[in-house]
Amino acid sequence: MGGSYDVIVIGGGIIGLSCGYYLTKQGKRVAILEAGGFADGASGACDDMILFQSKKPGINLELAFESLELYRSLVSELEDSLGFATYGGMVLIQNQQELRVMEEFVRQQQSYGLDVEILSRSDMRKRQPFLSERFIASTYSPMDSQAYPFSVMHRLARKGRELGMQVFHGSKVNALDRDGNGDYAVHTTSGHVHQAPVVVNAAGAWAGHVADLVGATVPMEPRRGQLVITEKVPAVGETNLWTAKYLVSKLKPGTEIAVTEEESRLGLGFAFTRTEGDSYLVGSTRESVGYDKRTTMEGIRAIVNQAVSILPVLGEVNFIRAIAGLRPATPDGKMVLGEHAGLPGFFTAAGHEGDGISLAPITGRLLAQMVCEGVVQDRLKELSPDRFSGTVNTEVS
Amino acid sequence: MMDVDDKKDFFICRCEEVTLREIEEVIDEGYHSIDDVKRITRAGMGLCQGRSCSKVIARIISQKTGMPLEEVLQTSYRFPVRTEKMRVLEEEGDSDAQNR
Repeated sequence: MGGSYDVIVIGGGIIGLSCGYYLTKQGKRVAILEAGGFADGASGACDDMILFQSKKPGINLELAFESLELYRSLVSELEDSLGFATYGGMVLIQNQQELRVMEEFVRQQQSYGLDVEILSRSDMRKRQPFLSERFIASTYSPMDSQAYPFSVMHRLARKGRELGMQVFHGSKVNALDRDGNGDYAVHTTSGHVHQAPVVVNAAGAWAGHVADLVGATVPMEPRRGQLVITEKVPAVGETNLWTAKYLVSKLKPGTEIAVTEEESRLGLGFAFTRTEGDSYLVGSTRESVGYDKRTTMEGIRAIVNQAVSILPVLGEVNFIRAIAGLRPATPDGKMVLGEHAGLPGFFTAAGHEGDGISLAPITGRLLAQMVCEGVVQDRLKELSPDRFSGTVNTEVS
Repeated sequence: MMDVDDKKDFFICRCEEVTLREIEEVIDEGYHSIDDVKRITRAGMGLCQGRSCSKVIARIISQKTGMPLEEVLQTSYRFPVRTEKMRVLEEEGDSDAQNR
């Protein structure tokens, strides 16, 4: 079995499905090759955030705004609620140093058009009465939203299929070559060969390996994120929650904040979001452990203990499951999106790390524009895969 | 009184209230593993973590697709296999329990 298409997308996670969907909508005949099953990778083991507050002003924040608008239109386009909701979010601050960094960050985000403010302790506690006493202030943005990744992926696949898109599971790509016409032949481990003039590498944490197959460079590191899921419980406070500690250590690496050795090794940060199933997703870690995607007792214990120390009421709540996924991380924290110099028709759309759910719709739409219209918006040049290969200004024959 | 079609509205997963009809629809769409069905319908994601329904779902998949039951049943259990209060971990000593 095999076939001939306009575009082959390698990777059937939320990014690959979004690319496939928007390409199909523009009239392309698309096949998506997924190595595993439905939502087997990072897209099936993540939280559900469309989070603005964590994003530095710049291209990521700009694209997050556009993605939010696309989510609103996808709700009707895909005929499903997609678990799309806007509960708002708060970033919890526990000392003056964190407060200073967050005040500056909030000012930058405001100047970029984000609706966000610093709340006093009493205003914070009105929205979150169960918080530990140790927090002195918080940020608040009514814009922070969420979508249920499984629904988004299922509906993108379903609508795409209605329009002729093909999705293959268990199709692991192990070779990629070009014929005399410049078409790509994509070989899978089960011996099938699929052909197309355009290939989109949406393989997430594995995008570097796929790029290797055609001699391209995509520096992608897997970062393991572990999360814990609670039983169904009544709402705990009004918003989703994060802590400033981890954000501050990323924004201002020199800041004197007490991070324990374990916190730093696990990349521990608090994230607390209410899910479609009325449970909470509690996270998370950010670990460099290669492609090991097991959950660990150490990680789960750190997440649970941190959560109970921040919201003591959670001590009485059951947790029912732990999950882990490999977030695809790039060296500069920005996704890779674009065509590779010297490889006409070979595109990469990967490297969203923790922003995959936020940025999936806009990524798919922009990728489809690049493929179908052959133009790259100026503002997207900083996302080009060529930023890593040193060939930006060189002609490659 | 209940006609044949109403039987499809029986809950297969009681924790998440997922009906036979919903499960069959997803199988008809081409999703043929317990994990696929679980992720799309939420069947098996609730309090019991699929301990009562995942074998039933496997049987439905097997019957609808003709795949051998043993093949469908290959799926992993995630830690914890029984639910725990969050404070329990705080009180516990070190352990190296891991997911398989």
